[in-house]
Amino acid sequence: MEPLVRITGLNLRYQQKQVLNNLGWTIQHGENWLLGGASGSGKTSLAKIIAEMQSAAGELKIDFNKKSRLPAEVLFVESWYRFKNIEGLSNFYYQQRYTSLQANETVTVKAELQHYGKDKNLEFEEAEKLMEALNFSALKNSQLLELSSGEHKKLQLVKALWLKPQLLIIDQPYTGLDALSRRKLNGLLDEAVAAGVQLILICNDKELPASINCYAEIENGQLKRLDSQDEISVSYQRQSKDLPDFLQVRPGYTSDEILRMIDVSIRYGDKQVLKNINWEVRAGEKWLLQGPNGSGKSTLLSLINGDHPQSYANNFYLFGNKRGSGESIWDIKQHTGIISPEFHWYFDATSTVWQSIASGFYDSVGLYRQLPFSKSAKVDELIEFFELTEHKNDLLSALPLGKQRLVLLARTIIKNPELLILDEPCQGLDQQQTAYFNQLVDELSVNGMTIIYVGHFASALPSCLEKRIELNEGEVVAIETLAESCLA
Amino acid sequence: MANYFNTLPLREQLNQLGVCEFMDNSEFSDGVNALKGKKIVIVGCGAQGLNQGLNLRDSGLDVSYALRKEAIEQKRDSWKNATSNNFNVGTYEELLPTADLVINLTPDKQHTAVINAVMPLMKQGATLSYSHGFNIVEEGMQIRKDITVIMVAPKSPGSEVRSEYVRGFGVPTLIAVHPENDPEGKGLAWAKAYCVGTGGHRAGVLLSSFVAEVKSDLMGEQTILCGLLQTGSILSFDKMVEKGIDAGYASKLVQYGVEVITEALKHGGVSGMMDRLSNVAKVKAFELSEELKDIMRPLFQKHQDDIMSGEFSRTMMEDWANGDANLLKWRAETGETAFEKTPAGDVKIGEQEYFDNYLLMVAFVRAGVELAFETMVEAGIKPESAYYESLHETPLIANTIARKKLFEMNRVISDTAEYGCYLFDQACKPLLADFMKKIDTDVVGKNYNEGKDGSVDNQQLVAINEVLRNHPVEIVGTKLRKAMTAMKAIKTA
Repeated sequence: MEPLVRITGLNLRYQQKQVLNNLGWTIQHGENWLLGGASGSGKTSLAKIIAEMQSAAGELKIDFNKKSRLPAEVLFVESWYRFKNIEGLSNFYYQQRYTSLQANETVTVKAELQHYGKDKNLEFEEAEKLMEALNFSALKNSQLLELSSGEHKKLQLVKALWLKPQLLIIDQPYTGLDALSRRKLNGLLDEAVAAGVQLILICNDKELPASINCYAEIENGQLKRLDSQDEISVSYQRQSKDLPDFLQVRPGYTSDEILRMIDVSIRYGDKQVLKNINWEVRAGEKWLLQGPNGSGKSTLLSLINGDHPQSYANNFYLFGNKRGSGESIWDIKQHTGIISPEFHWYFDATSTVWQSIASGFYDSVGLYRQLPFSKSAKVDELIEFFELTEHKNDLLSALPLGKQRLVLLARTIIKNPELLILDEPCQGLDQQQTAYFNQLVDELSVNGMTIIYVGHFASALPSCLEKRIELNEGEVVAIETLAESCLA
Repeated sequence: MANYFNTLPLREQLNQLGVCEFMDNSEFSDGVNALKGKKIVIVGCGAQGLNQGLNLRDSGLDVSYALRKEAIEQKRDSWKNATSNNFNVGTYEELLPTADLVINLTPDKQHTAVINAVMPLMKQGATLSYSHGFNIVEEGMQIRKDITVIMVAPKSPGSEVRSEYVRGFGVPTLIAVHPENDPEGKGLAWAKAYCVGTGGHRAGVLLSSFVAEVKSDLMGEQTILCGLLQTGSILSFDKMVEKGIDAGYASKLVQYGVEVITEALKHGGVSGMMDRLSNVAKVKAFELSEELKDIMRPLFQKHQDDIMSGEFSRTMMEDWANGDANLLKWRAETGETAFEKTPAGDVKIGEQEYFDNYLLMVAFVRAGVELAFETMVEAGIKPESAYYESLHETPLIANTIARKKLFEMNRVISDTAEYGCYLFDQACKPLLADFMKKIDTDVVGKNYNEGKDGSVDNQQLVAINEVLRNHPVEIVGTKLRKAMTAMKAIKTA
C-alpha cells in the first residue's frame, strides 16, 4: 500500500530565510507522529502545507485509505483560533467580551456545532458525548465571544474528534487545558486512533497519548527522525543578565494596598461568574491565581485592570482608591501591566515590535503618539535586553509565537508597573520557551514588583510565587501561602 | 416651527456656515475637568447611547440613562443595554430635573417629541447636547434661553466609538455650540470635555456649527457617501450580468470592491486611489470620471440647493407625516434588486484585482468625491467641513456595504441619510442610462490591462496627474491627514 503522506523536495522561504530546505517525509499507515523542536523551525508551516492551507515548492502526495469509512481529509487544528462574529468581523477588542450588547453578535457554541455537524453530515449525539468527556457541556449555550481561550481550544478539539478525519494534525494540543482536560484529551485521541484516525501532534509536551509511535523534529529545514521524544533537541539556555537600570528600582507605589475586594460578585443574566470574592493584595506580593477553565479567573483580572463594566456595581479598592469614585480606566491602567492570551489575540496586527513595546507607556493597543527621547531610549534598551534587536522593525505578527509573547512581556514592563498581571503568559509556548519566560519573570520580581500569575501546571511556574488563590465556579476555594499548598 | 437657517439674514447664514476649525491637541489639555462631578443623563440607549455612555463612565464621569416609562416597564432593548452594564436607569421625571448635562442620543425622527418631553423637566442653566443638528436647524426647535445647547458628533458608528476608545484611541469628532443658546459662555468648554470623555480628542476634532454640520452632513450622505455608492453598485452589477459575467463573481466584486477601493482614499486621497491603477487604466478611469462629473453635476447641485433652501427637509418631513410611505417603498425596491438578492460567489479575488477589474467604481468614487466637495464649497461650506463629509467618510460607509450589501448600509445610517440616499438613487439611475449603454466588461468585470501593452502618452499622463493632485480636496486632505499623523487610520473592518 502507498504511504498516507509522501513529501519530497519541499522548499519554503519566508522573506530572506529558508524555512524548509528540500524536506522529505513519509508517513506510513498506522503511524502517529510527534513533531517537536525549536520555535520557528517550521513545524506549523509544514503542517499547513500538508493541510493544503499554504503552498510551497515541492511534491506532496496524500493517499487516503479508500476502504475507510472516515472522511478522506486532512484536518489541521491551529494553535490559535480566531473566531468571527455573525457579520464575519474579527476585530473586536477583547474587552468587548464583557460588554453585554456585543456578545449577541456571535453565535452560541451549540449553534456553531449544529452548523458544523450539518455541513459535515455528523450525528449531534456524538458531539454531546465529546463535550461531556471534555467537561464542556455546561457551555453549550454560551456565546462564542464569551469563551475563554482554553474553552475555544476545546471547541476546536470537539470538532476535530467528532469529524475523525483520516489525518488529524493538532498544533499545540494542550494549549490552555488544565491537567484533567489534558488526560481526557489523550484518552480521546487514543480512541480516535483506534477508530482509524492517524495523528500528527506538534508540541514539546511530555505526557502524550499512548498511540504516538514516531518522533521527529525539523533541523535546518529538514525533517530529522528520532527514536524517542527524549532526543528532541533543547534550545539554548538563556544567560542570566542584568536588567536595564530603569527596571532595577522598586516601582513607585502610591499605596501599600494594591487591591481589596469585598464580596465582589458578577453575573450575566442567570449565569453567576464570580460570587462573593474577598481578596487583598499588598505591594510586592507574588500571587498565583488558579482554577479550572471557566472558573472566573479572566473576569476577576478584568476587574483589576479596569476593563469590566460591572466594576461600577461592586465594592472594591484599587491602588488605595475606591473603584468608581471618579477615576478613569486610564488612571487604573497606569499602575498595571497585563498580558493574556486574549489580549494577544486582539493586539494590533499592524504594529511593529518597537511600536508594540512603546505602546506600553500609554496602555494603548498600538502606538498613537510620538515618544519623547527618554522613553524611546528605554524601548531600545529593553529590546536589547530581550535580544529582539534584529526584529525591531518587523511586524509583531510576523514573529513566531514565543517571540511575540516576549514582545508583549516587554510591553507590560516598560513603565516598571506596580502590578504585573500575567494571565497564562506561556500558553502556546513549549517547555523551553516557558522556562525562559519564567526565568525572566523571576529576574523582574526581585525589585519589588507585585505579581499576579495565572498558570495551570505546577512544574511550569516562576519560582518567585509565594501565595496562591484558587477559584472554582466563581468562588474562592483556597487562599494560602504556597508552602501550605505544597504540604496539602 | 420655522426652519432656523431660513430665519437668518444672509450675513449670519454665511457666518454660521463658515465655522470650521481643526482643533489643536493642546486645546484639550483640561481633559474632562469641566464635567467632573456633574450629573450626565443620556436619553436613549441604542448603539451610540450605550457606547458613548460606557466611554464617559470609563473616563471617570457620572452617567445615567433616562428612558421612557414604557421602555422600562416593558424591559425593552434600551433598558437591557443600560441595566445589564450596571448603569443607573430612570424615567425622564426621575432623572432629568437634577441633570447638569442631558445628552440626546435618540434617532433624528424622534427629536421633536423627545425634546418637548425633556425640556420642561430640565433645571435652570442645564446643558443639552445633540449629535446632529437637524432638529435645531431644519425643524427650528427653540430651546429655553437659560439652557446651553452643544453638539458632539463622533464620525463613526457606536461600536467603533467604543472599540477605538478601549484601544486607547478614539474616532474623529465634530463639536459645536449653538449661538442662540450659550447664555453662560460655557458651551465650548463642556463640548470639549465631553469629547475628551469619548476619546475623540485623540483622533482629530473639528469645531463646527449646527448649521455647517447639518448642511454638509445632509449633502455628503445623500450624494457621494450613500446615494452614489448605491447607484454605482447596482448599475455595475446589472451591467456585468447583462454581459455574461458570472453573477456570483459580479456580486462579490461589487460587494467588497467598494471597500477595497475606498480604503486607498484613507491614506492617499483621490490621487492615492487612482495610483493603484496602471497608467493605461488610470487614463481610462480619469476620462470616465470626467464624463460622470459633467453628467451628474446638475443633480449634485440640485441636492445642495434643496438642502440649503430647506426644501429637502420639508419633503422628507412630509413623508414622516405620511407614515414613511416613500421611504418604505424605496427600501423595499432596494431589497429587490438583483445585486441585493445574489449572494457573493465562493471565488477568491485578490486585492489588486478589485482595482484592475472594477475600474468603473474607481471612476464613480473620484467623480462623486470631487463633485460633492466642489458643490459644498461653492455653497459656502468650508473645505475642511466638506472634506470630512465627503472623502473622509466614504471608506467608513463602504465598509457597511462589504458587510451585508446595501441592506446593511441603509440599516446603519440614519433615517435621514437613508431617505436622501434613495432620493438621489431614484434620480441618478435614469440620468446615467446613456452613459451605461457605452460601458462594457473591460471596465467592470474583466481586467482592463488585458491585451494592452501598457503604453500611454507621457504628456497626457503628466497632465492627468497634475489635475488629480491639485484638486482642492487633495490639498485640504493632505493638510488634515498630516495633522493626524500621530494617529492611526480608523479600522473599519
